[in-house]
Amino acid sequence: MSVGPCEAFALVVRRELRLSFRRPDQLLQPLVFFLIVTTLFPLGLSLQLSLLRDMAPGVLWVAALLSSLLSLDSLFKSDADDGTLEQLALCGQGLTVIVVAKTFAHWLVTGLALVLVSPVVGTALGIPGSVFATMMLSLGLGTLTLSWLGAIGAGLTVGLKRGNVLLSLIVLPLAMPLLIFGAGATDRAISGVSAAGALYFLAALCVFTCTLAPFAATAALHITLE
Amino acid sequence: MGGGGNKIVTGAVFWSMGGYARYVWPCFAFAGVILGWNLWSARRYRVAAQLRARRALEAADADTAAATVVAIPSTVGEKA
Amino acid sequence: MWTWFYKLASPPYVYGTAAALAPWFLGLAAIAIGYGLVDGLVFAPPDYQQGDAFRIIYVHVPSAWLSLFAYVGMAVAAAIALIWRIKMGYAVAAASAPIGASFTLLALVTGSLWGRPMWGTFWAWDPRLTSELILLFLYVGVMSLRSAFEDPARGDRAAALLALVGVVNVPIIHFSVVWWNSLHQGATVARFGKPTMAASMLWPLLSMALGFMLFYGAVLCMRLQGEVLNRERQAKWVAEAIKS
Repeated sequence: MSVGPCEAFALVVRRELRLSFRRPDQLLQPLVFFLIVTTLFPLGLSLQLSLLRDMAPGVLWVAALLSSLLSLDSLFKSDADDGTLEQLALCGQGLTVIVVAKTFAHWLVTGLALVLVSPVVGTALGIPGSVFATMMLSLGLGTLTLSWLGAIGAGLTVGLKRGNVLLSLIVLPLAMPLLIFGAGATDRAISGVSAAGALYFLAALCVFTCTLAPFAATAALHITLE
Repeated sequence: MGGGGNKIVTGAVFWSMGGYARYVWPCFAFAGVILGWNLWSARRYRVAAQLRARRALEAADADTAAATVVAIPSTVGEKA
Repeated sequence: MWTWFYKLASPPYVYGTAAALAPWFLGLAAIAIGYGLVDGLVFAPPDYQQGDAFRIIYVHVPSAWLSLFAYVGMAVAAAIALIWRIKMGYAVAAASAPIGASFTLLALVTGSLWGRPMWGTFWAWDPRLTSELILLFLYVGVMSLRSAFEDPARGDRAAALLALVGVVNVPIIHFSVVWWNSLHQGATVARFGKPTMAASMLWPLLSMALGFMLFYGAVLCMRLQGEVLNRERQAKWVAEAIKS
């Protein structure tokens, strides 16, 4: 009674989503953190809305980066702690399918959630509504890429004490191109210049990462779990 | 050797580096620091590794020596 | 045909070769660096735009090249170790990292000092310096990850994987930073221009670059001996090797 990889993928995604929604407070934490960090910038800089708009894309993106990082730790940790991950690795589907499913589910509840909340935050930072489409698209692509970079980092640091700090140390430098192009795309859209170039590069980064990262993350788990 | 009729400067003019001395010389000094640190640190690392290896070997030798010492008392007891 | 490649897998061979090569590398490095320093500081004419400050190029550019070269070397060694399971690759990767990181720091400091007379500030988010800074973060990440594991073998493998992920990202990061810089280039910040290179200016630069590479080879061999010993402490050949 073998299950094909697509069914396995769907099963794991469904399991992850069910587990996540069982702890709604854990789902909300990254979002609240996103809002809090976004609030820190105007408080720290006390700018008027018009000046804030210049910094808005960068502030939004840095806040999104940091909130995504917070939730990455839990990607593999709880399953690794109670042995579920090893069981999944042995189930014959190949760890890669499991990793893809877990990371995708993780993105659904964190990255996608950030994208949906971003218009609220954007308004608070003075980003004009006409730019929201570009902003959300760039955030969507960026958070998906970031989930994959984070999966590699989480795979490498699962089981380490204080792996959280090391995870951020590893993932943030790799995520800097995302920040540059994501904030750059929104910035160009606000100035009225075409953001297409930046969005294309962001999409290329996303495709590149989504293709290669699953293998790197699986290799990382093999290293840390065996 | 110099580019087209350049005179080679010496002495105080050389050290002043056209007025940029306080940027140029610290750069070269720091380069020396980094080169020196690399040599010192690599040598120290190697020596520490050799020491650790030597100690591990001595411990292993001591173990085999202790094993032979322990074997002897059984024959001593029999004589008495 | 591949016997020489698999000889590299033998720890006593690596240890012995490193011990033999190190003094040669060091001697050749001293000659190349010595010539480069003298020719660059004394004989090369001052740049017509930057005056004598351009001479900082003779340490800044070689150290920047070396920082990248060492990272790529570390990644190649990591790939060899992970793909062909040649454990000596991990030793080379571990030995390369601190050397490369120190030269990245040198590139940053000299770049910053060079920037002061050119831009008026010690730091101006120039694309090359920013890329070097991110490279330093990548180095620190690899070294921190390796030392975070209690089992050194596991740490080696994890750090090797991270080095590979990093090396793939280095061109992406560089391209992104150049794009970002062109986007935000203020009118007041002049580009970090390389002075137009007369041959008399170029030769010392190439000599310094070669000298730095040779120096890296020497220090790598020295560190490599330590790394090999740490990983092979129990092996039989070690007793003979340390007596010499």
